[in-house]
Amino acid sequence: MHPLLVQYRAVVVKEVRQTVRDRRVMALLTLAPLMQLFVLGFAVNFDVRRVPTAVVDRSRSVESREHARTLLAGDTLRLIAEPHDERSAATLLEDGETSVALVFPPSFEKDLLRGDGAWVQALVDGSDPVRSSVAVDAVARHAAARASTLGMEQARRLGREPPRSTVTLESRVLYNPALETAVYVVPGIAAMLLLIVTTLIMSMGLARERETGTLEQLQVTPLRSSVLMLGKVTPFLLVGLLDVGLALCVGAWVFGVPLRGSLLLVALATLLYLMSTLGTGLLIATASRTQQQAFVGGFLFMLPAVLLSGVMTSLRAIPDWLVWLTWLNPVRHYVEVLRGVLLKGAGLSDLWPQFLLLSGFGVLMLGIATRRFHKTAA
Amino acid sequence: MSAAETRDLELRDVRRSFGATQALRGVSLAVRQGEVYGLVGPDGAGKTTAMRILSGLLRPHEGSATVLGVDPAHPRGEARERLGLVPQRNTLYGDLSVDENLHFFASLFGLSRPDFEARRERLLHITRLGRFTERRADALSGGMYKKLALACALLHRPRVLLLDEPTNGVDPVSRRELWELLYGLVHEGMTLLVSTPYMDEAARCHRVGLLYEGQLIAEGEPRALARAHGVSPSDFESVFLAIIARRDGRAA
Repeated sequence: MHPLLVQYRAVVVKEVRQTVRDRRVMALLTLAPLMQLFVLGFAVNFDVRRVPTAVVDRSRSVESREHARTLLAGDTLRLIAEPHDERSAATLLEDGETSVALVFPPSFEKDLLRGDGAWVQALVDGSDPVRSSVAVDAVARHAAARASTLGMEQARRLGREPPRSTVTLESRVLYNPALETAVYVVPGIAAMLLLIVTTLIMSMGLARERETGTLEQLQVTPLRSSVLMLGKVTPFLLVGLLDVGLALCVGAWVFGVPLRGSLLLVALATLLYLMSTLGTGLLIATASRTQQQAFVGGFLFMLPAVLLSGVMTSLRAIPDWLVWLTWLNPVRHYVEVLRGVLLKGAGLSDLWPQFLLLSGFGVLMLGIATRRFHKTAA
Repeated sequence: MSAAETRDLELRDVRRSFGATQALRGVSLAVRQGEVYGLVGPDGAGKTTAMRILSGLLRPHEGSATVLGVDPAHPRGEARERLGLVPQRNTLYGDLSVDENLHFFASLFGLSRPDFEARRERLLHITRLGRFTERRADALSGGMYKKLALACALLHRPRVLLLDEPTNGVDPVSRRELWELLYGLVHEGMTLLVSTPYMDEAARCHRVGLLYEGQLIAEGEPRALARAHGVSPSDFESVFLAIIARRDGRAA
């Protein structure tokens, strides 16, 4: 066997032995990501349901009661109080007991029957923008639907032809028909956990070698930096693949995440992604003298990497200049591949730009880390 | 030293600083083939810095270092193949066993399987670690750990061995065993550079260099140095103190 291969095998075997013998590291690599995926899969939920609502009905009429009843019949709003006036409703909003207060004016029914156009006031707690915008949308959509129904009833009463709707909406949700948050979020969480685990393990592992002095012992041997780096990375590439396999199983069995595309494509993307995350971990380690520094450095990288990846929020919601920055983020491309392959059954012809970028990042990060390690050694 | 004599290790007017601290201030020394050279000095004298420069772990800011005629810091230089280092700190893998450490370092030096087996047998025999091959390195006593570090450094049959305070934290019996072991290596033709803060160990070397505040303030054979200062060679501590006192007096 070539001497470089002998060295490579020796480093891989050493890493595996050390990892397997350290129970905390083993738990961090396997159990922790699975448990977090399980918990976060349930915890991260963007569905807005049963928003607490107060109704101030100063009209006390059949029409106002019917309007409120039909609005609250849906799953979005839930009646929790019926205060007498706006001031009491405002207090409930201020105390956080309710998020929406609907106010029907005394003239609601009269205005409606006269055909002058009645109004309902919705006071919404805007401190949670997602929740408040969904609530406002629900109130507005219900008002429009109710107006349409009333218009048709009025026309029928007056013996006129009911106005025909000119646009008919027929919506069909693809890829995630039940609009389950978990189906969308779980692949993102898997990418995020893989990033955290592999970057931290790698950066702290190399920093520990520097701290304990074993790195110096290696530096007086003929072992090349590139062989050392590859040897250190290899076991964690395999662990990362195993983690993704387990995450896909949990995703499918617990959260109903489908696998519509090729498993091989997921494995390939994972390998390329892991090269980036492990390379970043090594790069952080070359700039750290201690494990503590490596830990802090890891978090300074991971926080923006997760926030600018589309795992938690849509990239369409962030400013254009920041979207450009996300092109430099391997987490973004990996999440796009995972969602594309798993949910849409996308293939390499659809996702080649992401694959190209992931390959580029992987080679670049490992290359820079090896070069920097070589320079900082002496 | 005559020009014909082979200089296995050499520092030429080496200067190295760490921030405002000058660790080495123009140190020059040469170690001949087959010699045991003792680098003696108190803590902070610059012994470890000199060792690290000669092992290629540090580059000098000024001056030069050579090991067997080549720059030790050159990443692919032959120095690494022919140099062994026993550092001051415990730098083996504590969570690997004695055997696993030996096998790992043998692989890095590209030893073939039969060659490794032969070396392993020999080194376990001379270090008397044969009964502890399955024991984790961090479960060894101080003396046994140093012997394992020595065994790992000797696997590839280096021509030059650097030992940075090898007997630090080692009990007297193990110290004596370690020195017997080192003499055995010199007998086989190896060149040794040993740094130590213990003056009694200096007397065991063929030549010593007294390093003090980053400068080599005296150099020679232990007996000759003792004679020059009118003290017994066995009381090398007095030699060292006399030299320092004279130097400090001159400086004042």
